[in-house]
Amino acid sequence: MVQFTLPKNSKISKGGYFKDVTGSKNIKKINIYRWDPDKNENPKIDTFEVDITQCGKKVLDILNKIKNEIDPSLTYRRSCAHGVCGSCAMNVDGINTLSCMKSHKDINGDINIYPLPHLKVIKDLVADLSTLYRQYESIEPWLKTKEKKSKIIEINQSKQDRKQLDGLYECIMCACCSTSCPSYWWNGEKYLGPAVLLQAYRWIVDSRDEERKERLKKVAGKLKLYGCHTIMNCTNSCPKGLNPAKAISSLKKMLATN
Amino acid sequence: MTDNQNPISPHLQIYRWHISSLLSITHRITGIVNLLALILMFFWLLAFSLGESNYELFLLAINSFFGKFILIGFTWSMSFHILSGIRHLVWDMGYGFEIKTANISGVLVILSSLVATIIFWLLGRGLI
Repeated sequence: MVQFTLPKNSKISKGGYFKDVTGSKNIKKINIYRWDPDKNENPKIDTFEVDITQCGKKVLDILNKIKNEIDPSLTYRRSCAHGVCGSCAMNVDGINTLSCMKSHKDINGDINIYPLPHLKVIKDLVADLSTLYRQYESIEPWLKTKEKKSKIIEINQSKQDRKQLDGLYECIMCACCSTSCPSYWWNGEKYLGPAVLLQAYRWIVDSRDEERKERLKKVAGKLKLYGCHTIMNCTNSCPKGLNPAKAISSLKKMLATN
Repeated sequence: MTDNQNPISPHLQIYRWHISSLLSITHRITGIVNLLALILMFFWLLAFSLGESNYELFLLAINSFFGKFILIGFTWSMSFHILSGIRHLVWDMGYGFEIKTANISGVLVILSSLVATIIFWLLGRGLI
């Protein structure tokens, strides 16, 4: 049964208020979701006053500043800080995005930061993506050939065939799209979700892959693929500007016309 | 790594609405409302078959302020669901997935469903 409200242990309460100590006039209030597995408490929202004149341009810079200068216990994933690794995916200002790509100047008023939606929280902004990774594994995201070739040779691809992969290969699996999708929230165990389906499509349209038919058949499950109702939250959230909704539609179309 | 002690991160409570998501849920709701409209039509037939006094009672009900409100609501719900359904059909053919296009088509569905409702009622009343 779909549960639209949060379960009892997930209800959010008001947390601490960390007042600015620098005396700066350019203060921005940052509200951050906190949950500590070592304390037997419900999640809470801590508010930090941050001097944004002494801070980099991106939301990730704010998080780093808070961790370095105000509260070292603040926990989040980050690595490259250039929108390539996909680690710092989170919900900023109501939309899933990479915090290293999102400019805090684009946000008016307070900035609200939550972990990616409808996941088990591990700590603070770190959520558990293991279901998604398992689903990713299930589509076998590697090149497959029918029989073992006697000689190892390069499989060539025409420029035109290579073009088919544009807008797909750029995906960094940050999970912004999948965790923005209400259909994935309610049926996350069965529905593959936009990220995994975009990847499935990426291997299906690869001219070098020889298991196109089997792949299509495998993805065609009732909820696996057709859990998509074109809500388009995925495309609206993708920090790389890709279009998972279109990829899913192409899969549906392939199955309908084949 | 996680067990049932771990909270679930907030979702509906915090996620920002887009035109596309708003229209998607409205499409579902109007689908259900349309079913109610169909049931009302059966009651209309039933009242019709039960004779004059029953039919007059039915007319009295739907000609009241509340009745009219419901009927206009049903007209809009039907218009919206059909137009939004056409939008879905176009998507199924593989067109209109760019964010800008989808936003424009969404606004078009909202506006034209309102216009269609007005036109239906003006036509029905013999005013145009």
